[in-house]
Amino acid sequence: MNADPEKNTNDKPKEMDRRSFLGASAFAGVGLAALAASLKPLLELDDLTSMEKFLQKHYKELSPDDMAKVLKRIEREVKDEYGVTPDVKDLKPMDGVEYVYALNLTRCIGCRKCVHACAAENNLSRDPELQYIRVLKMPHGSLDVGKSNHDYNPESVPEKDHFYMPVQCQQCENPPCVKVCPVNATWQEADGITVIDYDWCIGCRYCQAACPYSARHFNFAKPSIPKERLNPDMAYLGNRPRKMGVMEKCHFCIQRTRVGKYPACLEVCPAGARKFGNILDHESEVYKILTTKRVFIQLKEELGTSPRFFYYFDV
Amino acid sequence: MKQTDNRSTMVLVVLSAAFCVLIAAFTFEWWGVPKPLPPIPLVDPKFLETKTWRQSYADLISLEEDVDHFDCYICHEEDKKSVLKFDANHRVIIPEEHEDIVMGHGTHGRNNDCFNCHNDKNLLLLQARGIESLKMENSTPLCGSCHGPTLRDWEAGSHGRTSGYWDRSKGPYKKQDCVNCHDPHSPGFPGRRPAPAPNHLRHVSAPSAAQPSTQH
Ligand code: HEC
Ligand code: HEC
Ligand code: HEC
Ligand code: HEC
Repeated sequence: MNADPEKNTNDKPKEMDRRSFLGASAFAGVGLAALAASLKPLLELDDLTSMEKFLQKHYKELSPDDMAKVLKRIEREVKDEYGVTPDVKDLKPMDGVEYVYALNLTRCIGCRKCVHACAAENNLSRDPELQYIRVLKMPHGSLDVGKSNHDYNPESVPEKDHFYMPVQCQQCENPPCVKVCPVNATWQEADGITVIDYDWCIGCRYCQAACPYSARHFNFAKPSIPKERLNPDMAYLGNRPRKMGVMEKCHFCIQRTRVGKYPACLEVCPAGARKFGNILDHESEVYKILTTKRVFIQLKEELGTSPRFFYYFDV
Repeated sequence: MKQTDNRSTMVLVVLSAAFCVLIAAFTFEWWGVPKPLPPIPLVDPKFLETKTWRQSYADLISLEEDVDHFDCYICHEEDKKSVLKFDANHRVIIPEEHEDIVMGHGTHGRNNDCFNCHNDKNLLLLQARGIESLKMENSTPLCGSCHGPTLRDWEAGSHGRTSGYWDRSKGPYKKQDCVNCHDPHSPGFPGRRPAPAPNHLRHVSAPSAAQPSTQH
């Protein structure tokens, strides 16, 4: 055992012996190396927050004028980075609309087209890869998410004796992620969509830990999207490009659904397993499905999150 | 005492120098840069295609594509009725001219009589039970005449797919027809290669031996 250098010096002003000196300098050396290494990332910090962004108010406190300025700023930033002039909008919830998603598990064939259409629509980072939808493969007769596999890659789907369950943000009526956010960077809107203000998020990842569906994703690195695949139709609370260090998740394609379109994952589904609409409208597909089909699953219902995302079977 | 002062100065100088060297080392990456991870290839755009996998006659007309093979009377004669021939297993024998048709409707090809669906007097029309003949591009009521419950689901929007606008006051929508997703002659939904698996951990997702494909 090395002599404890601190104790030695405390006892009486005694000269350091060779041993404790070596010990102390090794200790200091390691400390310095750690400090030096921790300073290194500062060199890579190229996009320092602009003063404008730093002084920006919370989304809910922005006046229309402020918002117009913010949208201009985002347009400029996207143009600088990607060379594409986007059309960034701040879309508000529509009156008398509450969204519900229904997914027919009898139909889903596990082809994962939704996963990639979502990435394309929502400007998700391709490398490192971040995806809002995970398709779980499960043996028939079970609904144990713990036994599922999302890395399946056979020559052909669907595979015998299995079914597939795509999971994404469940847009809970009682969202645990919103409750834990220390800065109010995420909240539920009147149409039921839980949104994130990427300019307000501090990246603490509490919401990620709180979400029982692993639906929230953190940008550990700077997202990378090839210029030619950037979707220029953007919404402030939707698919505008994110930066490193913030959370993101499925927002039911706000930039599409709030102008009346179906979400991208639904449009691309070859099997017609995905259903979306306004539950308050009794003519909507989701209303008819929820009132006529008998078997429903709300994932992890027992947690009391009350998802607006329903899984159903054709029986 | 003097000696200790000298010594602490020396220690400080050495430590500061070491610190500078370490900073330089990290900045100029003297210990080399770890090899970059292999890039994740971009997904094949075919997986982003929103069209249904099959184009119906109605689609072909609206896209003004080649519909010659729907012009039955290029080969058939107006007043000569085709007589179906069946093999020993009661499977319909398909003439060479129609070899691209694979009949496999239902288990054991139960629905294999061409004239269950095609009008035997006018091949340009479809014929369903209990309703008048239908135009070739209007095949959904034909399917519905035998698949009542599925048709009801389709009408309610739970079977099949509606594309376009969920908010009907804001834009157009299209309910995909049965034949957009089902080949009327072999309506089973064909298997296909799935889009790439997630690369979260950057492992190469080759078809794994652990889960062999079991179908098709
Ligand atoms: C390229 C020429 C060609 C075209 C185009 C064509 N047929 Fe035929 N079809 C034939 C021949 C040849 C036969 C076999 C002789 C016969 O039964 O008349 C046949 C047979 C049939 C039969 C009887 C099948 C059997 O098993 O014997 C049906 C039903 C039929 N055709 C329907 C159609 C319909 C419907 C169309 C248009 C959508 C069409 N054909 C277009 C050449 C053609
Ligand atoms: C289940 C009903 C059904 C049966 C049974 C059926 N057909 Fe058809 N057939 C259709 C429908 C519907 C279309 C139009 C499809 C579309 O819109 O793409 C069609 C299209 C065709 C066409 C033109 C397009 C093509 O695929 O070449 C031919 C030829 C044809 N059928 C021949 C036959 C023959 C021969 C048989 C018997 C061996 C037969 N059909 C049995 C429903 C049927
Ligand atoms: C004359 C009645 C009849 C018509 C018309 C008809 N079908 Fe069928 N269909 C059947 C029968 C019978 C079966 C077999 C059911 C079984 O085996 O359980 C079947 C089975 C099917 C299946 C299940 C196939 C499978 O392999 O699992 C599909 C899908 C289907 N039909 C689609 C269609 C479509 C699309 C149309 C319209 C182009 C259509 N059917 C028109 C009688 C019909
Ligand atoms: C968006 C695509 C799509 C459309 C449109 C569509 N289907 Fe299907 N259908 C499917 C899929 C996917 C399956 C599951 C097939 C499988 O697993 O082999 C299916 C299954 C079926 C079956 C087999 C029985 C069952 O319920 O599993 C029948 C019968 C059927 N469809 C009839 C129809 C009829 C009739 C229409 C039109 C009124 C129609 N389909 C429209 C995608 C579609």
